[in-house]
Amino acid sequence: MDVAEIQGLTVRYGRFTALESFTAVVPGGCVGLLGPNGAGKSTFIRTLLGFVQPAAGRGTVLGHEVGRDDLAIRRAVGYMPEQDCHIPGLSAVQYVALAGELGGLSKAQAVRRAHEVLEYCGLGEARYRMVETYSTGMKQRIKLAQALVHGPRLLLLDEPTNGLDPIGREEMLQLVRSISHEKNVNVLVSSHLLPDIERTCDEAIVLFQGRLRAQGRIDDLKRVEGAPYEIELREASGAFVRCAAEEGLQVLGAEHAVYRLRGDGAPEDTVARAFRAARSAGVQVRRAVPAVRSLEDAFLEAISG
Amino acid sequence: MASPVADLSYRDVEAGGGPGSPGWLVLARMGWRSAFSKRAFWVLTVVGGWYYLILLAILYFIEQANLADETSRLASEFFGRIVWRDQFLHGFAFSHLVWLSIALLLGAGAIANDNRANALLVYLSKPCRKVDYLFGKWLGVFVPLCVAMGLPMLVFFAYCVLNFRERGFFDDDPLLLGRVLVLVPMAAAFHTSIVIGISSLFNQGRLAGAAYAGLYFISGFFSQLMLIIFLRATATPLEQMGSGQAQTFFYLSVDGLLTGLAKVLLATDGTPPFGIPARTPQIAAPDPWMALGGVVLVAAVAVFVAWRRIRAVEVVK
Amino acid sequence: MIEFVGASRWYGQVIGVNDVTVTMGPGVTALLGQNGAGKSTLMRLVTGQLRPTTGTVRVFGMDPFANPDVYRRLGFCPDIDAFPEHLDGREFVRRMARLSGFADPEARRRTEEALVLVGMADRADRPLKGYSKGMRQRIKLAQAVVHDPDLLLLDEPLNGLDPVGRRQFMDVLARLAQAGKAIVVSSHVLFEVEQMTRSILLLHRGRVLASGDVSEVRAFIDRHPHRVRVETPEPARLASHAMALGYVLLCRIDPSGRSLEVETREPDRFYGELPRLALDEGIPILSFESPDNNMEAVYSYLVGGRDL
Repeated sequence: MDVAEIQGLTVRYGRFTALESFTAVVPGGCVGLLGPNGAGKSTFIRTLLGFVQPAAGRGTVLGHEVGRDDLAIRRAVGYMPEQDCHIPGLSAVQYVALAGELGGLSKAQAVRRAHEVLEYCGLGEARYRMVETYSTGMKQRIKLAQALVHGPRLLLLDEPTNGLDPIGREEMLQLVRSISHEKNVNVLVSSHLLPDIERTCDEAIVLFQGRLRAQGRIDDLKRVEGAPYEIELREASGAFVRCAAEEGLQVLGAEHAVYRLRGDGAPEDTVARAFRAARSAGVQVRRAVPAVRSLEDAFLEAISG
Repeated sequence: MASPVADLSYRDVEAGGGPGSPGWLVLARMGWRSAFSKRAFWVLTVVGGWYYLILLAILYFIEQANLADETSRLASEFFGRIVWRDQFLHGFAFSHLVWLSIALLLGAGAIANDNRANALLVYLSKPCRKVDYLFGKWLGVFVPLCVAMGLPMLVFFAYCVLNFRERGFFDDDPLLLGRVLVLVPMAAAFHTSIVIGISSLFNQGRLAGAAYAGLYFISGFFSQLMLIIFLRATATPLEQMGSGQAQTFFYLSVDGLLTGLAKVLLATDGTPPFGIPARTPQIAAPDPWMALGGVVLVAAVAVFVAWRRIRAVEVVK
Repeated sequence: MIEFVGASRWYGQVIGVNDVTVTMGPGVTALLGQNGAGKSTLMRLVTGQLRPTTGTVRVFGMDPFANPDVYRRLGFCPDIDAFPEHLDGREFVRRMARLSGFADPEARRRTEEALVLVGMADRADRPLKGYSKGMRQRIKLAQAVVHDPDLLLLDEPLNGLDPVGRRQFMDVLARLAQAGKAIVVSSHVLFEVEQMTRSILLLHRGRVLASGDVSEVRAFIDRHPHRVRVETPEPARLASHAMALGYVLLCRIDPSGRSLEVETREPDRFYGELPRLALDEGIPILSFESPDNNMEAVYSYLVGGRDL
């Protein structure tokens, strides 16, 4: 099911146009929203929530009209902002319960869900502490908890791994993945860190200068023409290149000890030929995988094209 | 078959559990809880009733003295001087600083702290409109302020009803309770609106508090200064400052407006406090429409400022 | 260029870095660690803003603490985001150049060079307060390189940059490194670090947990056996052959039945054997790779294995 349909959305701040007749269909599941600074990612999310009024265009989120059913949209959507934010003077449980009540839960239900959601987000031990005393990583988690407490059908995450250290990032990404893939909550993630998107999302929408630049499954975006292979040797070897050519493999490029090859047969045939080439060259193959571009390369290509 | 092991991680919101409260009520309740759990709030409420406490002590002594024959004449004379409704005016007007303190305690950080913590992003991304937010915050300050202003008055009123009926407590003004019950919410609404409006302009509660306190004292200072200049310029003797144009200046400040409002609503010009004869003239009540208009206008401007300032995201143009 | 010998620094009861002995030379060195691991303290010791409580720190063979001779050859890009907001970017960098002791015409020339280097020459005339996060990072870098230092310390320089900006920034660093400068970069984002360098210095709770090339570091971690993931339509047959090798500890067949994960303590011998299994035993192999030969795996083995 599609979670949002946007048609010709235009948003202006004074004379600056942030979104220019933006048209897109956001599918369900976990979707990444990519784009350089100022491409309109945050503006898009803010417009969905009704924080800014579009100058033209229309859209629906989970069947609710943007700009008309803002309250219904906000009830069905959870928003994790990029900025540091919390409600001052409350403990974590009070804060998340309050967010739940604002989200339309009854008082008793809000308190119960606050405990459950905090536990799920890994703040179980710290839930009676004041939010002001939280570390960066905990603040990110509680932002997720307050977005999740009222049981939204769609989560909007703006830079969820901002400022986290490697372990903290890994845990946050696992949470996002678990929410979207096991708990059936649709997720729209905006991030600068493309490997994060690569690891959590199935689809990507690329925004550039306020317009839709590319959209598709991440696997498709990463695919390389002609399905070449990447072969990594223990050390670089000129003999290997020669032997590979003799085996009928086309050598497309080399960087350090990594060679990009193309065979005309099945994948296992290409690997077998590479093995033979390595054996005759007397070198050791350390890695053999189908060459893909990183999402970053795909992204840079999409916005420069 | 259901799994024998329950999944205790995240789950959907289960149906039922009853409908939630509207956003403004949730926010107002938060304000009330935080206000009523502050000890300073209750201390200030008691301090705010200082005039009544002293007056009650005096009245109690006079009552006791009344038993002896030779002092009974003095006592009736004293009770003759007491205008009951004016005691409510004094009780209210002598505690302006206390009301200001309570307003600052509850309201200075109400929006300013939210601005600092980006809390509006949280509130407004939930199904909670700007009007819900503002009204909720406003109620969160207004109701405790009403309690603080009203509680001493009502206690004093009840005491008087029980003890001084035969001393003409009811004859003085049968509508007194009604007048008091209008004065308290109006004064509370005035303070609440201003402090919320100022709070919305700042990122720190302390700064917002300092700004309101500054406005309060500077407006008071200038109204006194202008009164003196006017009296000098027109060579009005001090005994006549209570009426005519001079009195207008007296009401041109935060506490002046509130005193004026109290005089209008209690329908009195005032008598000397504690029933003690004094020579200083009482300043006549202001024109009712001017006083009411001034209070409503200032409050409306303050609320409008807050309304314009509250937004979920800063838009950089 | 940088030499730490048993250097420690406490702040009252709090320990910043503890008994650090390490040397850093030309090229890019990545400084890794959790929040509070001591990365910023280490940088401040090098820049001479702090003096070690015990031990010594030498930069270019000199004590850096309050030593202008060191400062002249050292550029620092701190992680905190504090600028004189009313200045425009060009003016800020020029003033920093003047502070480095250049006469005005020279300072102007160097400012322009630095702005071109970071790609801000066309946008540097607006006041700093209107800059985006990425522009602020670039200006911070420009002021760090304006006096052409031999040693550059960058604390979280890529934070807040979008992918385009990050790519440009890394290109700049690569050029500087090629010119023989020593660059120390701290970052939380390991894939960024991986694109810049293989040389790491990993701090944990104030102590040096690992230093050197990532692959070397990996090779020393024998607590975790080496893993190889092989994609094949016949995982069971491959597994039986692999187990027969004797030095394979564990074979795990993926539930999808299309790949096999092998754990071994002697990866070199296993890689040598794999072509034989494919060619002589005729087991079709679609692809194979080691999932833990990258920085993220090394990091989580070293840091994640301990209590967080």
